[in-house]
Amino acid sequence: MMDQERPITDDDLHALVDGVLDAGRRPAVERHLAAHPEAAARVAAWQAVGASLREATEWKVREPVPARLDLARLLEARRRARSWQPARLAAGILVALAVGAGSGWMARGPSMPTGVAAVAMEAASVHRMFAAGAEYADPHDAAAMVELTSWLSRELGHPTRPPNLSKSGFHLVSGQLVATDQGPAGMYVYDGANGLRITLFMRPMKERDMNAPMRPMHGADTVGYVWARNGLGFGLVASTPMRTLHGLANQIRDDMGAQI
Amino acid sequence: MSALASLEENIPSLRRYAWSLLRNASDADDLVQDCLVRALDKLGSLRAEGQLRPWLFAIMHNLYVNRWRHTKVRAEVSAQDAEAEVSMPPAQQASSEMRDIMRGLDTLPPDQRQVVLLVAVEGFEYAEVAAMLGVPIGTVMSRLSRARDRLRDFVEGRPQPILRRVK
Repeated sequence: MMDQERPITDDDLHALVDGVLDAGRRPAVERHLAAHPEAAARVAAWQAVGASLREATEWKVREPVPARLDLARLLEARRRARSWQPARLAAGILVALAVGAGSGWMARGPSMPTGVAAVAMEAASVHRMFAAGAEYADPHDAAAMVELTSWLSRELGHPTRPPNLSKSGFHLVSGQLVATDQGPAGMYVYDGANGLRITLFMRPMKERDMNAPMRPMHGADTVGYVWARNGLGFGLVASTPMRTLHGLANQIRDDMGAQI
Repeated sequence: MSALASLEENIPSLRRYAWSLLRNASDADDLVQDCLVRALDKLGSLRAEGQLRPWLFAIMHNLYVNRWRHTKVRAEVSAQDAEAEVSMPPAQQASSEMRDIMRGLDTLPPDQRQVVLLVAVEGFEYAEVAAMLGVPIGTVMSRLSRARDRLRDFVEGRPQPILRRVK
């Protein structure tokens, strides 16, 4: 039979050791081992090595599973990360409103800004409080970043990554969800050379300006660009005028559109 | 059995594999945790429940390759320290044979370590391992030969091939 005449290879020896050798092949392999003591010793050693490996690692499967790997707990953590948490954002709401009211935007008219003008005001407030200020919280809060990214992905309706600005010399330092009087919003903070820090602010638009062309924004102590696309408003803010800011805003607009 | 129950059933062997790869209990459980979180996210995309186990190990492999390779340096350093027993069962009579085989395992390149563990300890079929690692089955078989021969040399006290003199 052809199968028995084929030369014996390592594959046959492994199959024998692992108990998956074809029954028709077995006599030929056994004859080979009987005639070649070195091959037989090799197979025996492989079997012994396997048994030792199983014995030496057996305790690990018997060890109680630590609580942090408990599925119910992981599911609960996942559910919490996905749901909106007003309590966590309460402080952010107060901050954004208080600063917004005193920021100089109010001086231009009796009514609150709407549409992308409101986005501009909120972006400036958030930048001032969370990014430019010294009270800026945990710059490496991974949980907050995950929460933000999944929120943003839901808002955009597709998986979304923070824009990569590294080619322009800016790297992402943090991201988090913040609250405005218009509802939840997201912010990414980037650092560049010379201590320049910029904030990308995003939130869903309400009724007005679902799409709005990019335009510059100027606050009392902030500069930036604001635009809206497909129902999501964006503000890119810096504390001091930067020649590269317009280019960065264009890149982000194209990037967030291209991730679809 | 529900997919969640099968997932839960596989946690002990995922821990064994992760620990055997990384040889550091805390890094290993970090890897398992990442693997479980990813698996919970993607559970809906698993079509055949019978494929859960190889699917889980494939997820773990990808995480290991992408993010955990740097920890092998730490494992190799501790393996060179003959007295380092941090990664052996605590308060348990680890026989000298058990220590030997784990030291031998630590000397293997990660590619070979993965294959011999997946086949000889976790009991996967060669084709499953090939799919999991994304390599041809012939590559799995040659890694398995090298791993088994090297472990044999190690436990039988032969010098490692790299040190062997050529007559």
